[in-house]
Amino acid sequence: MIRLTIDGQEVTVPQGTMIVDAAAKLGVDVPIYCYHQALGPLGACRMCLVEVEKMPKLATACTTAVSEGMVVRTSGPAVDKGRRGVLEFLLINHPLDCPVCDKGGECFLQDYTFEYGPGGGRFQEPKIEKVKDGPINPFVLIDQERCVLCQRCVRFMREYVGEEQLLLEGRGVETVVTTVEHEPATSQFTGNVIDLCPVGALLSAPYHHKGRPWNIEREESVCPHCPVGCTSKITAREGHVIRMEGRPIPDREWGWLCDRGRFGYDFGYHPDRLATSIVKGKENTAAQATRQVAEWLKTVVDQEGGRGVGFIIGGGHTTEEAYQLRRFAAEVIGTDQLAISRTEAGYLPRGLNGTFDDVKQADTVVLLGSDPYDTVPVVHLKLRDRLLHYPALRVIGLGPLPLTRDTLPGLDVLVPPGQESLALALAMAAQWPQNSDVQTLVGSLKEFELQGVTAQTLVQLGQYLQGAEHLVLLWDGKEPEMAMVLGVLARLREKPTAVLPTFGPANWRGYEHAGFSPRFEDLTAVLEKARDGEIKILMVFGADLLREYPNRQLVESAFNQVEYLVVEGILPPQGAQHVDALLPGAAWAEVYGTYINMEARLQVAMAGVQPPGQARPIKTYVNTWARMLMKPLNWDEEWDPFDDDSGDLLPFEPVPDHVVALAMPPEAVGPMTLVTGAFIWESGQPSEILVPRVPQFPGRINPAEVKDMGLSTKRGHIMVSQGSESIVVAVTADPQVPKGILWVPQGLFGTNHLIEGTVTISGVTEEVTV
Amino acid sequence: MKPEWKAWAQEAKNEFPRANSALMPLMHRIQLSEGWLSNETIRDVAELMELPVQYVESVASFYSLFHRQAVGKRVIHVCVGLSCALKGSDELMHALEERLGIKEGQTTEDGAYTLLEAECLAACDKAPMVQVNLRYEGPVRPEDAERLLSEEVPS
Repeated sequence: MIRLTIDGQEVTVPQGTMIVDAAAKLGVDVPIYCYHQALGPLGACRMCLVEVEKMPKLATACTTAVSEGMVVRTSGPAVDKGRRGVLEFLLINHPLDCPVCDKGGECFLQDYTFEYGPGGGRFQEPKIEKVKDGPINPFVLIDQERCVLCQRCVRFMREYVGEEQLLLEGRGVETVVTTVEHEPATSQFTGNVIDLCPVGALLSAPYHHKGRPWNIEREESVCPHCPVGCTSKITAREGHVIRMEGRPIPDREWGWLCDRGRFGYDFGYHPDRLATSIVKGKENTAAQATRQVAEWLKTVVDQEGGRGVGFIIGGGHTTEEAYQLRRFAAEVIGTDQLAISRTEAGYLPRGLNGTFDDVKQADTVVLLGSDPYDTVPVVHLKLRDRLLHYPALRVIGLGPLPLTRDTLPGLDVLVPPGQESLALALAMAAQWPQNSDVQTLVGSLKEFELQGVTAQTLVQLGQYLQGAEHLVLLWDGKEPEMAMVLGVLARLREKPTAVLPTFGPANWRGYEHAGFSPRFEDLTAVLEKARDGEIKILMVFGADLLREYPNRQLVESAFNQVEYLVVEGILPPQGAQHVDALLPGAAWAEVYGTYINMEARLQVAMAGVQPPGQARPIKTYVNTWARMLMKPLNWDEEWDPFDDDSGDLLPFEPVPDHVVALAMPPEAVGPMTLVTGAFIWESGQPSEILVPRVPQFPGRINPAEVKDMGLSTKRGHIMVSQGSESIVVAVTADPQVPKGILWVPQGLFGTNHLIEGTVTISGVTEEVTV
Repeated sequence: MKPEWKAWAQEAKNEFPRANSALMPLMHRIQLSEGWLSNETIRDVAELMELPVQYVESVASFYSLFHRQAVGKRVIHVCVGLSCALKGSDELMHALEERLGIKEGQTTEDGAYTLLEAECLAACDKAPMVQVNLRYEGPVRPEDAERLLSEEVPS
């Protein structure tokens, strides 16, 4: 540790700390543009000049490491003069167009000029004119005249994200930030440069000329689209959410967002947003619709009791709303048929659930069927962060498709679809052959040979699994038996083993905490009971089951069979003709509540705006129904989802240690297998802003498979059939995809008409090319 | 990509401990044979040097002697630094523009000449001076423009 004095105060910091961070520890603010803790020192902007005793000239606080006994002064005549000079230079070619700049009022160039700068410049020559409001891509604008060339954006994209799409072009006063070959930047993380830009150069296109700090209100929130639950801030103006920003939390989060989360905030204003109640296809008043549903509930409960009612929750509801619904179901209706709209069959026990702190310490990461870049993008960034600090990070992809990337290189072990848990178990059997749990796991696999994976690979995988000091596994939740295999692995390793579930819905852990069953079997059971006529009234909250549930036929027959189908949501679900009462719900940012993310961490999201029209929170609905059913709910005791002992993490629960033999996988019967997976652009609610960015041909297939199908270009449509069902899928020919695999995003193209497994593909007569 | 570039890249790499140090010699060599560096060439160079396209583009755009647009066989840089300006670089530029029938920044239709201005080329003793391809000439008075254009210049 190094002791030094800054502005007369003594501080002790670790060796290698820069003066600027040591000063921050004392609460002394040193002005900076180019330096960012996540990116490290650069020394490009010269704004952070400070006086260091015994140094002949002013030193940059961001590139000067502390030394024992150093005496630093961050203010004084010399420092002020230095900073004044730097600002005068920075402003020589600046257009001084603050009155029309989006950044006005929240701009470090303004703030520092006000604090340290000269009142006017002495430079009288004409200013150099550059591009204003030029595009980086459809979401990010660049005003090159306002740029101070701090290079934060360029370095973020190049070093941190690893996608080299921004560059400095030219030299001296002519230097500009632009994209490679002036093509739009395609990275998933481009929006972060808006937050990183200390001046008004990089701007959000959807927020352009929409508001300034004195017109807006900011609320702390959590991004609702995927299970990462990135900490964010809502910007609201006159009852509209008009922007999302990252919200850094010291020592925990950098505040990065992916573009899906940053620009996908407009779903509350979607043209199809429900704002009126619809009963039997007719618009109705909220009071009448609610009363009608209460009457149906009463009829069913009087005849059948509570077991005649089933509840399914999904979408973007808060933990509190799920709790209110659960209490209504239990206390007023008297049913325990409470399920979560799940898309995958797997469930992760709380005891195995890791946190992002595990990622920060990981030396080995295994991706089980999940490519974080496409499913939970910010976790990809967290892994990049780890890779920068620990270049030896070992990344292993295990799934039917390659899961590592240029930005996250590693080893890919390709296994046939649905055999990831078998591969993991066999690798464990190679490493721990004597262990009884492992023997039980692979007990019925004596005859089994994993296709395409050599025994040597399994041995190596087993060694990596045992050798890892801190193992993190990302799991897509597709194979239910994986949880058991992971449980055995965690017990065997005796070193930290953390699993992060990448499957949705985003707040499934919150719904579980509130008392809903997270098990896929229970969801299936509720649907089957509805199909078999045991459940008469199906109450669906926020879920779009015809899109989400993997077996569409079951949902359809359930919808056809139930007497009443009541759906609450913010957008009309698929198959609205089945719905007897469609009730408009309050969306994210319209209700206060907590969300529990993939770390099992509770995070608070404040409300920023009012729900539109008749839209209302779940609590309003259940209160009204409870009163009409003569069993009013008592909310006197407030439910606190936080736990006293475990803080914002859900309390730890032991992992069940029951182990059974893994079953032999079914024989593959055809040459083409359909595989679905989560895809961030399709997760969460749809956004109008993002339309230009959503991939139009997201299906992926090996080029050799579609060569004969008239796919003259790399992209096109193919017909995918199974039995009597057929769907048309927009695919991109991707040589990365192994032969025999067709990958389609979960929920798109009506994929759930088909069951994952063998399909046949054929050309579409009318070729659509782009 | 020209087949010989691979060998050139290797030769350049052999001279330096790190790939990015060899980048400029390679680009110079390629420009000498191609005349200028197109987007495609930049991509090829990036591939040869195993560097990001972004990095190569940044370097190429930083130096004014790397041409990112097609140029004529002879590139005339007229120094417009202070000494040359005082000695009449403006008149020289006008004279050259008139002779060549183009404006500063343009290339003659036959592809023989490109006329550019340059900030101080550090040869004030020769003011007003010009740089023709890589050779310094000076002093060049406006009336010498004709002579300058008729001279044989090694590329």
